[in-house]
Order: sequence, then structure tokens, then C-alpha cells
Amino acid sequence: MLAINVERTTSRGIAIGRAFLLEKPQLKKVFDTISEQEIPTQIKRYEEAVTCAELELGKLAETNEIFGAHLEMVKDIALYQGVVEKIRAGRQCAEAALDATAAEFLFIFESMEDEYMRERASDIRDVSHRLMCLLQGVKHNPFEGMTGEVILIARDLTPSDTVALDLTHIKGFITQEGGITSHVSILAKGLGLPALVGVEEILSMVKQDDMVIMDAHAGSIILQPEEDILKQYHDKIEEQRKHQEALAQLKSLPAVTRDGKTVQLCANVGGIKDIKKALEYGMDGIGLFRSEFLYMDNSHFPTEEEQLLVYKEAAQLCSGEITIRTLDIGGDKALSYYEFEVEENPFLGWRAIRISLELKEVFKTQLRAILRASAYGEVRIMFPMIISLEELYDAKEVLEECKKELQQENIDYNKAIEVGMMIETPASILLVEDFAREVDFFSIGTNDLTQYLLAVDRGNKKISHLYNSFHPAVIRSIKRVIDAGHQNSIKVGMCGEFAGDENAVKLLLGMGLDEFSMSASVLLNVKEILRSLSYEEAKEIAERACQMQTSSQIYAVLGIHR
Amino acid sequence: MVSQKTTVNNASGLHARPASELAKVCTQCNSDITIVVGEKRINPKSILILMSAAIRSGTEIVVECNGATEKEDLEAVINAIDGGLGE
Repeated sequence: MLAINVERTTSRGIAIGRAFLLEKPQLKKVFDTISEQEIPTQIKRYEEAVTCAELELGKLAETNEIFGAHLEMVKDIALYQGVVEKIRAGRQCAEAALDATAAEFLFIFESMEDEYMRERASDIRDVSHRLMCLLQGVKHNPFEGMTGEVILIARDLTPSDTVALDLTHIKGFITQEGGITSHVSILAKGLGLPALVGVEEILSMVKQDDMVIMDAHAGSIILQPEEDILKQYHDKIEEQRKHQEALAQLKSLPAVTRDGKTVQLCANVGGIKDIKKALEYGMDGIGLFRSEFLYMDNSHFPTEEEQLLVYKEAAQLCSGEITIRTLDIGGDKALSYYEFEVEENPFLGWRAIRISLELKEVFKTQLRAILRASAYGEVRIMFPMIISLEELYDAKEVLEECKKELQQENIDYNKAIEVGMMIETPASILLVEDFAREVDFFSIGTNDLTQYLLAVDRGNKKISHLYNSFHPAVIRSIKRVIDAGHQNSIKVGMCGEFAGDENAVKLLLGMGLDEFSMSASVLLNVKEILRSLSYEEAKEIAERACQMQTSSQIYAVLGIHR
Repeated sequence: MVSQKTTVNNASGLHARPASELAKVCTQCNSDITIVVGEKRINPKSILILMSAAIRSGTEIVVECNGATEKEDLEAVINAIDGGLGE
């Protein structure tokens, strides 16, 4: 038995399962030339790879039509002839022949005028990758072959990895890299699963299929536990389940303090599935609808109709407000079908509203879809990463243009649709009084705000102890935003991780935050706390906290033990 | 050899889905099939080649079939194209 302690965690929950180590396929570049005798062997190798790929894709195609197109490509006669020709005449091994043939097609597709067709290049790349994996005997999808209950252990998980995750087997996540606001943390929170990130050396300590216990709240991992320990944890899981049941009783009760102050408890979602899940937790609305998944989980920029379908369904599912944040990519979220230039500093680079304002047609497509969806529910629009009034004016101008177009086309939308912005850059804090006159609401994005205010990369493990939203600079900024909003009679919400932090509930309530938006899985915990608090008391405490000069003083005022 | 002229009417031309449908139909035929677009002669049994040709809506094409079942095959291919290729 081996116990590991993890210092910082924002996740909770206990999970027990077998270790599933995620290994990304390492493809070798092979450019062997072959002798004449080897020609039939190499052709046969390629044919076998195609047969296997057909089997794999046939199964995948049943549930996802993209793979139907891949199936056609893998069987394609021109691809086959190209490869065989290169093996025969070019004396290349199957890998080299495939690589060269795929490159020819990639060249044709990438140089096509039609943007949609150019994007098909990514399908060819994927198909050739699948065949290459089969030729070299490595798994194309590293998540295949998962059985039973597993704890997924990886160096790190990228957003595109998480698209392929098989969630039926995963009970928890452990990563060697990443901070508490990395993607895997957010993903796990959304799923209500425990996650421990930045666990140094975990990959060298655990073996495939080892029994693993993880207690995310306590920050402990136990490898190959003894029987009695295992039983203890099974009991704890049972206890946890009972607490969850007790929380479930709160679903239909309002988020109101002992002395009658009501706040909105909303959910952050990244898709329709999340909304359905959030509805089970009795949320008041959607405080953050991340529209990125529409773009990331796709082979092309989603069309207006494609987006409308999703936004409309979301609006109809949701009885309260639904705040759709326009595309927030760049930074660490990339697209398979659009090539971003490599940047030295992606978090200070071309991302979010900066992309939207430059790719105006992509932006307009999204705004038109959101506007059209506003005919079906309480849809609000939110712009991310704003640093200047010019940007806000420009974004609003494009929005006006879209409204005018829709009007001319006689398409229905909510003419009084609310327009708001994220407060997540230091510049937006310093100009917050000016911004407050230009928008209908603010939503504070504490993850980026903390990172930018403190100049601390939230993914960098070495300095993750410096990343702290209880820093007085962050706390006073939040206060300033709330005050500026209220002076101009607009609502102020928060959609960062901080809004779901149990230790921060009293402080945020006391500062006057109108809307808390968080992962649905922690919503009832926050509601339980809120219902036990007094607003008057919280106000006094918040006022004192805002005068403190250090984080430790703030902890002391809030009664947090660190 | 038999051949016939027709026009591609799919709104966005021979994109992935219609191209895949056409390739499927052609692959089921025993004849050698060629589609002539302007000066290009392409093999429609390959979805990659079909898509590379970037045939737009409204383009006139000639379908040529050569083989024992060329008449039936030509009819099948023309019907598929005129029928909108599943769109």
C-alpha cells in the first residue's frame, strides 16, 4: 500500500477503481525502402490495416456520421491504388507509401478554394492516422479497451482528448500536470467526478490496473490498498451518497438566506447534456453557456442553422435566463479545422473576442443564431475577454448589424435581448464604472481574472500555490465590479470557479453578488450553505474582508483554516 | 461504351455526403465509369477523387460507362445524380 498526499484541491468526492493509464500513441516515422520480394508482404500489411479500420469505423459510424465518411475514405479506391503503386513502383514500405499518398490528397484539399472542402483535409489526416496506428500496432483511440470502474491517470488531458472520453467507466481523474482550474478539473466538476491534478510522479508510482482509492476532498491517493482500508472507503462513499440524498431535498427550495435575501443560483454548462444534468439540480438558470463545444466538437465552423438548433433547444429546456458566451477559443483551446499560429503567450494572444472581431463572418453567424434563439427563451449574450470600450462598441455594432439583417428578413428575435460582458481582465476592472453604463449585466470570470491580475499562469504547477482568488487584489476587484454594477442598476454575476467555492459563499453574498453560476454538481452544496447564512452578518464580514491587506487576514476574517 | 449528360443539382455541389453517396452507387457497378467535367476525366468510384474535383451546383457533367452491364449502370448512376444523391 502506498499513500500520496496532494496539497491543493477544489474537487470533492471519493472514488475507487482500477488504474487506467492513458498512453498517447507514439507513431514512428518509417521510410524504409523494400526489396522486390517484400512487395506482396507490404501490400498485404496495408490491406489488413484497411480491413481492421473498416471494422472499427463501421462500429463508430453507427452513432456518428462523421465516421461514416471516414469509412468511405478508408475503403477509397484511389487511396488504395496510390498506396499500392508506391509500394510496387516506389519500393516504399506500407507506412511510407500511406504517408506519401495521404500527403498528395492533403495537398489537393488544402489548396481548394471552398473553405468547407479545405476542412475535409482534417478527415483525411484522421483516417491516415488511424491506418498508420493499425500498421504500427498502436491504439488509435487511447481510451478504447476500458472496462469496469476505472480511475483515469494521465500526464494531462487536452480538450480534444476529453471529447473521446468514455465516461461510462471513469470514476475519477488524476493527472500529473495541470492546476486546479485546468480543463480536466473543470470537466470533472461538470461531471460530478473527483479529480486530483498536478500530482507529481504519479505516473511512475502507479501501474496499469492497480487498485486506486482517491479522496479528492482530503487530497489523498492510496495505491493498492489493504482490505480494511478499502472497506473504510466503501463506507465513506456510502456516507457521501447519503449526504447527496439529503442535499437533493433542497432542489425545489429557493436560494434564500435566513434573513430573506434571495440570490440566483445558476449553472455553467458546455452543452445540452450539461443543461439536462443541471436541471436535475434545480438551478435558476444558465449563467454561462460555453459555446466552444459547438466549434471544438466539429469538423467545420458550425453554420447558423446548426447553432440555432442547439441554442433553441437550450432555451426551451431552460425556464430561467440562459447566458450564451460568444466563442472563447485561442489560449489553450484550439480547433482541428482552423490553423492558429503558434504563439509565445497564448493566454495573452489571439483569443476570444479578438478572434470574433477579426473573423467577422464567423462572429455574425454566431450572433444571428443566438438572436434567433432569443425568440424561444430568456437568452442573453455575453462577450468574453473585453479590454476596452472600443472592443465593446465594435462587438455591439456587429450585433446591431445582425439585428437589422434579421429584421429585414422578417425573422423573429427578442428586440430587448440583454447584452453583457465578462469581467476577466485587469483593464475591465479599471474601466468597470464606464463599462457599467454600456451593458445590461456583468459576469465576473474569476479564473482568468485571478490569473491576469496576479500574473500567475493557472496551468503552471510550479507556481500554482500563488494562484489564489482570496488574494486581496482579487477580492477588492470583485467588490469594485459589484458596486459599479449596482450604482448603474445592472446585475452582477460570477461564473468562475470561485462562485462555487464553499469557502467564498459568505464573502460573495456579503459583497452583494446577485448571481452565482457554477458547475451544477456543486450547486446544492452552495445552496445548503446560503440557506444557513444571514445576509446582514455576511455584509459586515465582507466589508471587513475588503479592508484586509493579506490573504491570511482574509482567511481569518472568513474563518477559513488553511 | 455508353454516355449521358446531366447536371449536378445539389445545393452545395458534390460535398462530402453526396460525393460519398455517388461513390457508393458507382462502386456497386461492374462497369468502368468515368465522369467528365470540363477537361477533367475522373473516377467516381473514389470519394477522394470526387471531392477533389470540387464539382459545384449547376455544373454539367458527362457520365461514361464501359462494360458488360454498361446500360443498366449508366441508368443507375444518372438516376442517383438526378435524384439528388440522398439530399
